[in-house]
Amino acid sequence: MVFNYSLLFLVKPITRYQRVKVYRLNDDGKWDDQGTGHVTVDYLEMIAYVIIQRSEELALFVFDEEDNETLLSHRISPDDIYRKQEDTIISWRDSEYCTDLALSFQENTGCSYIWEHICKVQRNMHFNSLNHETFHTMNNELRELPAVELSTLPIILKIVTESSLADQMQLTELILNDQAFFQKLMDLFRICEDLENVDGLHMIFKIVKGIIMLNSPQVFEKIFGDELIIDIIGSLEYDPFVPQVQQYRKFLKEQAVFKEVIPFKNPVVLSKIHQTYRVGYLKDVVLARVLDDATVASLNSIIHSNNAIVISLLKDDSTFIQELFARLRSPTTSAESKKNLVYFLHEFCSLSKSLQMGQQLPIFRDLMNEGIVDIITDALQSEDKKIVLMGTDILILFLNQDPNLLRSYVVRQEENLLLGLLVKGMITDFGEDMHCQFLEILRSLLDSVTFTGAQRDTIVETFYEKHLGQLIDVIILSCPHDEASTVKWLFLIICRCNFLLNNAIDKVLLLTQRREKYLVAAAVRFVRTILSRHDEHLISHFVKYSLLKSIVDAFVANGNRYNVLNSAVLELFEYIRKENLKLLVKHIVDSFWNQLVKFEHLPSLQSFKVKYKQFLENCGPETNVNAPDRRKRIDERALEKEEEDYFNEESDEEDTTSASHPQKVQSQPVLSNGVAVSCPSSRPRSGGLVDYDDEDDEDYRPPPRKQTETSEDDEGSMESLGLKRKLTPKEKEPGLAKKQRLGKSSKPRDSVFAALCSTLSQAVLPSKKTANAMHLSTQSGEENHIEKESGSPRSCDNKSPNEGNLREKESPRNCSEYLHSPSDNRQLSGKDPRSLLPSKSSPEMAVNGS
Amino acid sequence: MSDLDRQIEQLKKCEPLKESEVKALCLKAMEILVEESNVQRVDAPVTICGDIHGQFYDMKELFKVGGDCPKTNYLFLGDFVDRGFYSVETFLLLLALKVRYPDRITLIRGNHESRQITQVYGFYDECLRKYGSVNVWRYCTEIFDYLSLSALIENKIFSVHGGLSPAISTLDQIRTIDRKQEVPHDGAMCDLLWSDPEDIVDGWGLSPRGAGFLFGGSVVTSFNHTNSIDYICRAHQLVMEGYKWMFNNQIVTVWSAPNYCYRCGNVAAILELDENLNKQFRVFDAAPQESRGTPAKKPAPDYFL
Repeated sequence: MVFNYSLLFLVKPITRYQRVKVYRLNDDGKWDDQGTGHVTVDYLEMIAYVIIQRSEELALFVFDEEDNETLLSHRISPDDIYRKQEDTIISWRDSEYCTDLALSFQENTGCSYIWEHICKVQRNMHFNSLNHETFHTMNNELRELPAVELSTLPIILKIVTESSLADQMQLTELILNDQAFFQKLMDLFRICEDLENVDGLHMIFKIVKGIIMLNSPQVFEKIFGDELIIDIIGSLEYDPFVPQVQQYRKFLKEQAVFKEVIPFKNPVVLSKIHQTYRVGYLKDVVLARVLDDATVASLNSIIHSNNAIVISLLKDDSTFIQELFARLRSPTTSAESKKNLVYFLHEFCSLSKSLQMGQQLPIFRDLMNEGIVDIITDALQSEDKKIVLMGTDILILFLNQDPNLLRSYVVRQEENLLLGLLVKGMITDFGEDMHCQFLEILRSLLDSVTFTGAQRDTIVETFYEKHLGQLIDVIILSCPHDEASTVKWLFLIICRCNFLLNNAIDKVLLLTQRREKYLVAAAVRFVRTILSRHDEHLISHFVKYSLLKSIVDAFVANGNRYNVLNSAVLELFEYIRKENLKLLVKHIVDSFWNQLVKFEHLPSLQSFKVKYKQFLENCGPETNVNAPDRRKRIDERALEKEEEDYFNEESDEEDTTSASHPQKVQSQPVLSNGVAVSCPSSRPRSGGLVDYDDEDDEDYRPPPRKQTETSEDDEGSMESLGLKRKLTPKEKEPGLAKKQRLGKSSKPRDSVFAALCSTLSQAVLPSKKTANAMHLSTQSGEENHIEKESGSPRSCDNKSPNEGNLREKESPRNCSEYLHSPSDNRQLSGKDPRSLLPSKSSPEMAVNGS
Repeated sequence: MSDLDRQIEQLKKCEPLKESEVKALCLKAMEILVEESNVQRVDAPVTICGDIHGQFYDMKELFKVGGDCPKTNYLFLGDFVDRGFYSVETFLLLLALKVRYPDRITLIRGNHESRQITQVYGFYDECLRKYGSVNVWRYCTEIFDYLSLSALIENKIFSVHGGLSPAISTLDQIRTIDRKQEVPHDGAMCDLLWSDPEDIVDGWGLSPRGAGFLFGGSVVTSFNHTNSIDYICRAHQLVMEGYKWMFNNQIVTVWSAPNYCYRCGNVAAILELDENLNKQFRVFDAAPQESRGTPAKKPAPDYFL
């Protein structure tokens, strides 16, 4: 899917302008119709195109529109043999066919396009042939390579750059069979360099480039060996198209610094490390503009497997790891070398991702056991921001690997030093600003869609108990005017913890008074996320304290400006209406209609009013909100008490109705919070609580957010996709609604966390891939598989086939990302691709949507 | 010279800003973009540009052909980043121009202005490489969420990155999208950024891209009629000639990345509309090789492993 535009272009039905008839002048002087076909343009030889570019050679091809047979293949000649007639015909005297040929285009545009291309190619050819003669009479059968000598370079060049696909395979064989080929070529290179033989150097450049483009793993193995690689890179300094000679070797020898913080005893390790760096340099710098995606993918996989080898060799060397940590801890280690050790550790952790999945976790565990977090805790307190950054990055790597590793540490740590540092980092201005890292770490620690458990809950408790107040204070303090960005990040965190701290809601809503519209809109989104929990209790809280007033005020104050705030509030109203949140619909109209009435012209508000009237008319039993007396009772109580009682009340009913679960589960956090307060060192009790929690999760383990999402996100498409609309209102209702409630209720915090991360929070999504630029074929295949199994967003599934060629290996990292990332709350969540695709492609779908 | 002007000059030389400058720029941009509507009104005359994809030097060609901002009023249809070598500089230059001349340049969101997509197609890696951390990526993707979803020129030309959505039959329906979010995988917002017009489709069809839809001529006709617009202008698909009309001139694709990915061999185009909405396409080629710097993928000189 994602967009190999050009490939898509190719695979798709070919457009009209590419349609041509091929004519050939017969002996009688008449034009014979040779058939109708398609002309396209691309650089790939394997796929059928009109102009094929392989190295410097370009050809015109026409493929039969019916059977795809080649109707014409014509190497574009540098000579002036082409004529364009009547805007739709290109003709020429063809030396290979020994007659005149003509292409008659269906459309002018196609004709002029191809014409321009021919002219362009010719210009390039003239330019190219200044240095050497081109050989046009090469034997098709490639049987042997000439000896590598200065005099044979033109022939070798010709063979390398002008081989057909079949010949390339043959060529690869020949090169590999000749043991001394590269040695001789490099000897020749050094001679040419000594003699400053520029022509020779240019030819060698093209030959080496062409050979790399053969993309043969065996060839790579040879030329990237310790003996050859520097010379190979040297030969690539002489690009004939770049005016000055490049200084790659100089960079590698003088600027690139290999820092061996701990001596590596194993020579293989050293050799692989250097090779990896050089291959990366070749790929990213030397040949960055030249390589096609397939070759880039091959180089990436070399790098990746080298990394894996290095990491596993080091891991198995127990003295190495011990020495590493000994030095990190030693008071005698200088600040400079400590810094380098932390850098090393960072690189070590991030390269561990090159290992196969199953081998990664043990490494992280080992590092954990060696005490890496203590090291990081130190790093986070460093004066040097770079070291702090490294520390946060390592933590993020751990969290991406398995959040529970770090959680278990945080739980064990007596004074919660780390958590405190993280919160402090969050609210400290770092200048170069690392809020996002701290935010992301805290998010992962607290957050959980895929993970639950005792540890996380303990952390959440501690967080509330000790740190939430700090964050809220920042919001309150900031409300006059302050670093808006800090507030924003903060706000994000708060979003995740809204549950129950009802007065936190009020405080967050103070943001609606901020001057910055984006903060006001963020507050709206915060409310929207809370409401998406369908929590009666919270809803009645909103009503009771008229919490929406600040939102309505902000909306009204915004006036008729059609901006993000306006859209966000309208979306909120739409949501309330479509979700049939009766209590809120009534509340809003009853309390605020006099303010809102001036916006009555907006369709969203019209529909809202209509919904209100409907509610008034049919006051029959409602699905969602029908517990006025219960609410009343609640109203009479103090807030905290109320929640606890509420919880108790609901748990009594636990197994009677599914509908009661939302409240019950939702209130858990209250309880755990309460417990934490009354009983600060609450491990045993909270453990019990947590078990309960887990049980609960097991019992109700619907895809946690799926239904929620469907309901909120499909609004749009439901309306117009006849198919979906048909299903939703009636048939789907009973079963689904129930399931929905279950789904929502069963994982209270999780769904909150998940849902809550307003889009802001996506800012924290990416570091999963931190620093690991290459994804390797092996692994990605594996991940792909996993990812399909688990129903990731459909786009991921579809991507690889189309995109594969133009891109480097289509790594599924973004896909697997979704699996872990709770932040993409609404869309990314577990919608099963298959369940979506068929519905959209089904026949009903084809009914026009208009 | 103000800081901003200095930054613009610096970016025009293809030199990226400091991380702290990016942060400050993004905050300013956020305040401007948050005030824009999902269907941003644009006055003629205006020059419409399609995908850029980090081809900085080719974008400079574009400005040569189309004139400098603010002298020329620009509308960019998204996909500023990914693929090319200079996504950072490209996007920051456009963003800086936006902050400097908010009424003279309009940026709307393309499907590549997304966290997920940029992690796969280059922008993420580029930020990491150029800054050593992904904070710049975070700031930029945050800004992506604020970019408007479409534009309406003089009430007559609807401009969007991808195309239409079955969920949207009137422009007014776009209003209730809270666009400040990652591009969803389905729904109206997704479709606007992902869909493609397609000859062979009647009505709506499944998109091979895996997101958005294919839509046929009848959909376009009825959309244009309902909303009394003359035609739709969109980008999102490579067209070798730089632009391409479809469905009897009811929709046009504009593509502004010449020699896409530095090897597709296509030309690029921009669409100039004068104050009477008369159209003129300007076709341009890729920047000559010499005028481009060396690829910016500088490796870190230190390595440990």
